[in-house]
Amino acid sequence: MPRKYIYLGLAAILMLSACGSPAATSPTVSVPMTQPDGFGHQPTALATAQRIISLAPSNTELLYAVGAGPQMVGRDSFSDFPAEAKSLPDMGGGFVALNMELIVAAKPDLVLASPLTPPEQLADLNNAGLNVQVVQNPTTFEELYANIRSVASLAGHEAEGENLASQLKDRVDAIQAAVAPAAARPLVYYELDATDPSAPYTSGPGTFVDLLIRTAGGVNFGADLGQEWVQVSVEELLNRQPDMILLGDYTYGGVTPEQVRARAGWDALTAVQREQVFTFDDNLVSRPGPRLVDGLEAMAKLLHPDSFN
Amino acid sequence: MTLGRALALSLMLLAAALVLSVAVGPVNIPPRTIFSVFAANLGLTQPPLAATDVTSTILLDIRLPHAVLLLLTGAALAGSGASYQGLFRNPLADPYLIGVASGAGLGAVVAMSIRWPEDLAGLYVIPAAAFIGAALTVMLVYSLARIGRSVPTTTLILAGVAVSSFATSLTSFLMLRSNDQLRRATGWLLGGSLLSGWQPVIALLPYVTVGLAALIASAYVLNVLQFGEEQAAQMGLPAERVKFWLILAASLTTASAVAFSGIIGFIGLMVPHLVRLIWGADYRRLLPLSVVGGGTALLLADLLARTVIAPQVLPVGIVTALAGAPFFLWVLRRSKNQGYW
Repeated sequence: MPRKYIYLGLAAILMLSACGSPAATSPTVSVPMTQPDGFGHQPTALATAQRIISLAPSNTELLYAVGAGPQMVGRDSFSDFPAEAKSLPDMGGGFVALNMELIVAAKPDLVLASPLTPPEQLADLNNAGLNVQVVQNPTTFEELYANIRSVASLAGHEAEGENLASQLKDRVDAIQAAVAPAAARPLVYYELDATDPSAPYTSGPGTFVDLLIRTAGGVNFGADLGQEWVQVSVEELLNRQPDMILLGDYTYGGVTPEQVRARAGWDALTAVQREQVFTFDDNLVSRPGPRLVDGLEAMAKLLHPDSFN
Repeated sequence: MTLGRALALSLMLLAAALVLSVAVGPVNIPPRTIFSVFAANLGLTQPPLAATDVTSTILLDIRLPHAVLLLLTGAALAGSGASYQGLFRNPLADPYLIGVASGAGLGAVVAMSIRWPEDLAGLYVIPAAAFIGAALTVMLVYSLARIGRSVPTTTLILAGVAVSSFATSLTSFLMLRSNDQLRRATGWLLGGSLLSGWQPVIALLPYVTVGLAALIASAYVLNVLQFGEEQAAQMGLPAERVKFWLILAASLTTASAVAFSGIIGFIGLMVPHLVRLIWGADYRRLLPLSVVGGGTALLLADLLARTVIAPQVLPVGIVTALAGAPFFLWVLRRSKNQGYW
């Protein structure tokens, strides 16, 4: 009778789940994964990469900035700068998953991943025998320079990397020197998304926005909100009255100062009344590449216009 | 049409879908090369000169295991869906009816929001957590619905809906809290299987084969249950015990499938109904044909997901409903056999 088979079958299932849950059956082969911090040390043993795939816009921008653009054979879907990068073959990632097939077929000798790359796909790339390096997000400008030098040396452009790093350092130092004498430290609210204008999203501690506002001589409104991307109530904005509103959501959402003024309750913000609401190119603060310094300069000039006359 | 002929026909369709899945992809590989790679791999011929390492990696390590994983997943979903429709005598029942999907989603998102060591074991934490989440949710629903020694079907469905909503809201909360995992979690919840290669296939295979074998073996019991539980009991069927084992088999099968493939909607609902429209409602036919049809349907949906906007790879769960719903409605409207249920 079927019932006997059911019991037999289910007994087998139970035995299997007892001794072999999916986790238990996993790692029979140990795969050399890229260490999270494995990018800090100098990759001396590696030959100069000639076929590079970048899996993040920041990596693409870094590679082009040190003159390694012509060595690239592929990019992720979001890499759109510089304009030449857009003509490189798209390796997917627009809907989370990368196109593993295209990546393998491009025969890269270096795949530059980022913390945005899902760990499962990092494992796949390693399993396919590819040379994968994860460029970690910088938390300081020093770490940005270190990333530039490391990427440049992987691509065989050490001199350009050194040059770019020292140029960027000079520019950052100049900004810091320029804003240092300023007496006031304006409170800056950087808007990421206000689909719900009564509870918009802003940048908290540990973000590039936070780093840029601090370095540009300001105080980040979200600095003590405890999380990288946080939703705040408009009441909190009214309560703390930021000196300046920067609209990062202008870049992809087309949000303008006029729209902000028209939001219910926002006309009571002093920053709105004093017309201290500005659009800001979000690509300059969201991608940890050389353009972070462009973002820093733009921000410093908005925060301390008098220091740059 | 006899079961044998129907089964042969649907197995041929499945084989065709499998061949298409392996043959078609963003990288164009000529059929001759594909054939020689497989022939060489089976030890029939010498490795061909034309086939590079890259083509055999793409065929044997990327496309084939992906296709087999989806075949197993589709079979599991459609088989469990058919069993639930029979067990609950409800045409709206799908494999997620009593909380497997929401439980698996919660488990997976909890695992994603914790930072695991980035090695292979760390990667398997997510399917394991999804599986455990699904199993615990169904157990909770079952025990909540239990009244004395019986588990009334209506109570079971209502408890399932309530517990599912609870788990889904927790999942949403966690996703909004852990910003950096939002895209990964969304992709997974829409049926984007992130793990590839043969290991997930090997891990999934025993659950699906044993679970589906148990369901297919209970086809006759499901036929008897269609008279209603009371009637079935009068005919000598231990209804409560049967219900327990059927739920256990269907839940474990579904849970193991979603653990690796993410939550893929509509297959478990649509495929059994299509089979019913074509071959009738006898569960001795319906179950095996749904199992084969589920595999075929998911392979075809995945083919679309991988090619429609290549090089982008869409989560397959988007395609199953987007392409499946209109197709299903078209078949439903054309069918002269409207009162099939």
